[in-house]
Amino acid sequence: MNYRVIHKTQYKYSGEVGLCHNEARLQPRELPNQQCRASEIRIDPSPADYLERQDFFGNRVAYFSVQQPHGKLVITATSEISISPQQSLSEFGTDSAWETLRDRLTQDLSSDILYAMQFTLDSPMIHTSETLAEYGRASFPDGRPLLDGVRDLMQRIYTEFTYDPEFTSIATPLAEVLEHRRGVCQDFAHLAIACLRAQGLAARYVSGYLETLPPPGKEKLVGADASHAWFSVFHPNAGWIDFDPTNNQMPSEQHITVAWGRDFSDVSPLKGLAFGGGEHKLDVSVDVARLN
Amino acid sequence: METQRTREKQAGKGVQFYATQLGDYDEMHAKEGEVLPHWDYLMRALDRLGSDGLERRRKEAERLLRETGVTYNVYDAPQNKTNPWQLDPIPLLISSQEWAVIERGLIQRTELLDLILADLYGPQHLIKKGLLPMELVYSHIGFLRPCTDMPKPLTHHLIVHATNLARGPDGRMWVLDDRTQAPSGAGYALENRTVMARVLPSLFRDAQVHRLAVFFRGLRTGLANIAPQNKEDPHIVVLTPGPLNETYFEHAYLASYLGYTLVQGDDLTVRDGKVWLKSLQGLQQVDVILRRLDDTFCDPLELRLDSQLGVAGLLQAARLGNVAIANPIGSSILENPGLLAFLPSIARYFLGQDLHLPSVATWWCGQDEERDFVLANLSQLVIKPINRSAGNYAVFGGNLSVAERENLSARIRAKPHLFVGQQEVSFSTAPALSDGKIEPRHAILRSFVVARDRDYVVMPGGLTRIGPQKGVFDVSNQSGGISKDTWVLASEPEKQVSLWLQPHRGQGTEPLIGPLPSRSAENLFWVGRYAERAEAAARLMRTVLQKQRESREFNDTNDLSCLKALLIALTHVTGAYPGFIGEEGKDKLNDPREELISLALDIEREGSIAYSLQAFTRSAYAVRDLWSSDTWRMVDKMEQKWQRANGSLKPRFGRIQDSLNAFILNLVAFSGLTTESMVRETGWLMLDIGRRLERALCTIALLRSLLVPSHDAGVNNQIMEAVLSTSESVITFRRRYRAFMQLPTVLALLLMDENHPRALAYQLQHLQKHIDLLPRERRIQGLHEDQRLILEIYTDLRLANVSALAKTTKRNRLNRNLDQLLAGMDTRLWKFSETLTHSYFSHVQGEQIFASSKVEEEL
Repeated sequence: MNYRVIHKTQYKYSGEVGLCHNEARLQPRELPNQQCRASEIRIDPSPADYLERQDFFGNRVAYFSVQQPHGKLVITATSEISISPQQSLSEFGTDSAWETLRDRLTQDLSSDILYAMQFTLDSPMIHTSETLAEYGRASFPDGRPLLDGVRDLMQRIYTEFTYDPEFTSIATPLAEVLEHRRGVCQDFAHLAIACLRAQGLAARYVSGYLETLPPPGKEKLVGADASHAWFSVFHPNAGWIDFDPTNNQMPSEQHITVAWGRDFSDVSPLKGLAFGGGEHKLDVSVDVARLN
Repeated sequence: METQRTREKQAGKGVQFYATQLGDYDEMHAKEGEVLPHWDYLMRALDRLGSDGLERRRKEAERLLRETGVTYNVYDAPQNKTNPWQLDPIPLLISSQEWAVIERGLIQRTELLDLILADLYGPQHLIKKGLLPMELVYSHIGFLRPCTDMPKPLTHHLIVHATNLARGPDGRMWVLDDRTQAPSGAGYALENRTVMARVLPSLFRDAQVHRLAVFFRGLRTGLANIAPQNKEDPHIVVLTPGPLNETYFEHAYLASYLGYTLVQGDDLTVRDGKVWLKSLQGLQQVDVILRRLDDTFCDPLELRLDSQLGVAGLLQAARLGNVAIANPIGSSILENPGLLAFLPSIARYFLGQDLHLPSVATWWCGQDEERDFVLANLSQLVIKPINRSAGNYAVFGGNLSVAERENLSARIRAKPHLFVGQQEVSFSTAPALSDGKIEPRHAILRSFVVARDRDYVVMPGGLTRIGPQKGVFDVSNQSGGISKDTWVLASEPEKQVSLWLQPHRGQGTEPLIGPLPSRSAENLFWVGRYAERAEAAARLMRTVLQKQRESREFNDTNDLSCLKALLIALTHVTGAYPGFIGEEGKDKLNDPREELISLALDIEREGSIAYSLQAFTRSAYAVRDLWSSDTWRMVDKMEQKWQRANGSLKPRFGRIQDSLNAFILNLVAFSGLTTESMVRETGWLMLDIGRRLERALCTIALLRSLLVPSHDAGVNNQIMEAVLSTSESVITFRRRYRAFMQLPTVLALLLMDENHPRALAYQLQHLQKHIDLLPRERRIQGLHEDQRLILEIYTDLRLANVSALAKTTKRNRLNRNLDQLLAGMDTRLWKFSETLTHSYFSHVQGEQIFASSKVEEEL
């Protein structure tokens, strides 16, 4: 499947900004089943400095600074991506009990597992707690295969929680999300990750886009043409496997991965500091188009 | 003979009564009753001094420290008051044999930490080989993921390293912890040394003490070496969080001692991937930053987005190799207490050596056995979270209640890798002076190591801190600890090494005129303005009080009318409205006492003397590094004196009159000191521009409120005399114009006389000269706005005719022409102040953060 994604962000200031520094994580990663054929960030007014690099998690970051006075800043990221179906999971031995796999995480010093271990720890926006552990435990009775457990957790979040953009803000703690059973894709991803980490499993946060052309006869998926977020769990035999709790599905060809990290704070699509400017107004639009 | 005997008696009080606690190791005794040989000389000398002599030395030290303004800020103290630094006059002595062992151990430790730092931000072999658990590193807030792709330094990663050492009961030195992100204390150690060498000069000389200068020379060389460019003459700045930081004194002190520019985060800016200092002379590239700012605050773009103290883009500039930062951002990973448990095996891995200096026994709870041990022995251990934060600090297990202990156990069980247990060490005591007696106090030595070139240099000595009371282990300055100088005794006399003798590579003899940060320029400007504002208010108040006395004495109606006019003028000059003006002011005019006290002492009231004085002191403190020691002493004294004189709850009116005289004298002395000791560079220009501008404004306010309205001849005469005396011009006036008190002549002197430092013309003439010398970012045809304004005002003044100005309109008895002239000048002077602020100080632009908001909000 081929896509073109245009992600446009516009800041309008009431006054003039003399200088701004920014970091953008807007360019999709290369993955075994995802090819990023072209990706370009256009910035208006043009930046004095522009540098691309890879961050600690291997995500593509663009640093730029605009040094001329401006009242408006427009950042347009355009990417062309090809996605092929994931390898079938049945090829791996995926029926091991989840606790056996969990124990392997702490006993093994191989590089894959060491790398995955960092995603078992608390992170800036995800702190595990007894309540979160308890919510997750119901999906992991002894002996259940890992992926069955995760699927169950995803399903429970999907059915027990209400999608409600009004309820949470960026700072809403997970405890509140859990208590009120409400949130958006970011909260659901954080919640699932917290539940998995509380069981001693490795889980990470994935940000990206979702193609939302409704297939004929089917309901339109939530998150239409916007940034989207889901999570990925580490399976010592199968590697990292994605789950989308907002839509209760395992991403295949419609999820475009941009970046991953411990939680949202590692993959924030755009952040920056502007000097001067007074009030600012933000405008974001995302367009995901299928190419033939 | 008599004195000799008394002295001996007192001396006996000193050493003889010195008793160590049972079981503690004592620095002087080691074994009971036996003074260690290297203490012998000092103790005999102290005996000769006697307790009175010692107490005198202690007081002298206290005075010196206060006068130099050595302070330590205690957080949460009322009004962020600064605390004077406390120094015990008895140094801690370390013999040269023993020091050799410590020094070797310290260097080994710094080298080891340097290797660990390089490894954790590089290949992470330690984790891959299982020498360090991954959770210990990745769970620590000091592990900064954006810092993993920084360019490799040529020699060392770790540039400055401080270690807290204590001696255990067995007499061995132990490492308690390390400071690696922005170690403090080296400057205080230096200041302690300076003071000690002055209060016990002969003792210090004869004791053959190792000098500290070798360390600071090492620091200078080391910092110059890490400069990525411009190594011959790098531009080095000291980055401070600002005057509210607990060790701000030290930042300013070190900056001025080492000759570096003291800056705060928003004095710097990142452009074109480089770091620049915003100075009055424009942007100047910075090569090296010696930072006193904690890791996560350094760059709001990549680290803490809410940091107001850092420099946006700093990490990017460092990543590009355009600036070197000491220590590198991310060094706080080494402050992780869990590391201590693994250092011995890492030392064997990297160096093939055992640690020369052992660390205090530490159990990291991330391992099952260690966790169980800690849980089983909770009440004997100190429990530390690996991440310190508010409400999350080290606790002594023994001090906890049963409930608290259970709560802690549960927290450890839930996330064991976030805790360590440490042996509770009882460290040695050292003799200290307390209430005239020498007493044992628990002591901790903070030592310092710096990367000089290819090697590390240890400060021979360090900062010793002792508990505030006998038996207390907490020596931290926040809880009132006292410091000591540390003398490492040389086996033979050392040659004096001075910082000045440092050989420069190919250094020319051109004097360097350091750039003046815009913030410093602004502070100097305000120092000038507030000093002058306080003086104007004080002088007028003095006149008012004088007049009040006279009116009471002679009961003359003219006196009373004049007094009322003066009171109203006081409101205008101080700008503390409504004051004596309007309906409300009527009652106050009849009974001005309370309003006068408020204008003198109310620190919350803008325009009051106390307020201006406080603002003056604050601005001066913010540029602490720029004052000569005499000047600073003056600044410091002034606020203290004013408060001491009038600080009681019920201020006595009479007292205010007395202290006004002293206060004015001090202000004049300050003014004289700056005039005589400040180099005529931009900094001085800014100070004097502030002073001249404020004096012009105050003079205008004074003349406008007193000389524009016209009264009966008798009152007029009194008022003119009061104006002259307030402006310190009575003598000059009499000499020139004899006894004829007339408005035109008064105006001629106070407005037009360019040679009279109190006259308006004098202020304008100087303003005009000063602003012509200011650096300009761009050249233009003709005049800059500030130049144009001053020229206009000055020209108006020079064209004015004093006789015409003194013409009163019959109808309302006002000197209209005078009023118009003064009003016009006043407006334009304010405009001038704005223009100046805009072109020179507008560096502190508000910054705003824009982070991606909640994902779904982007719909």
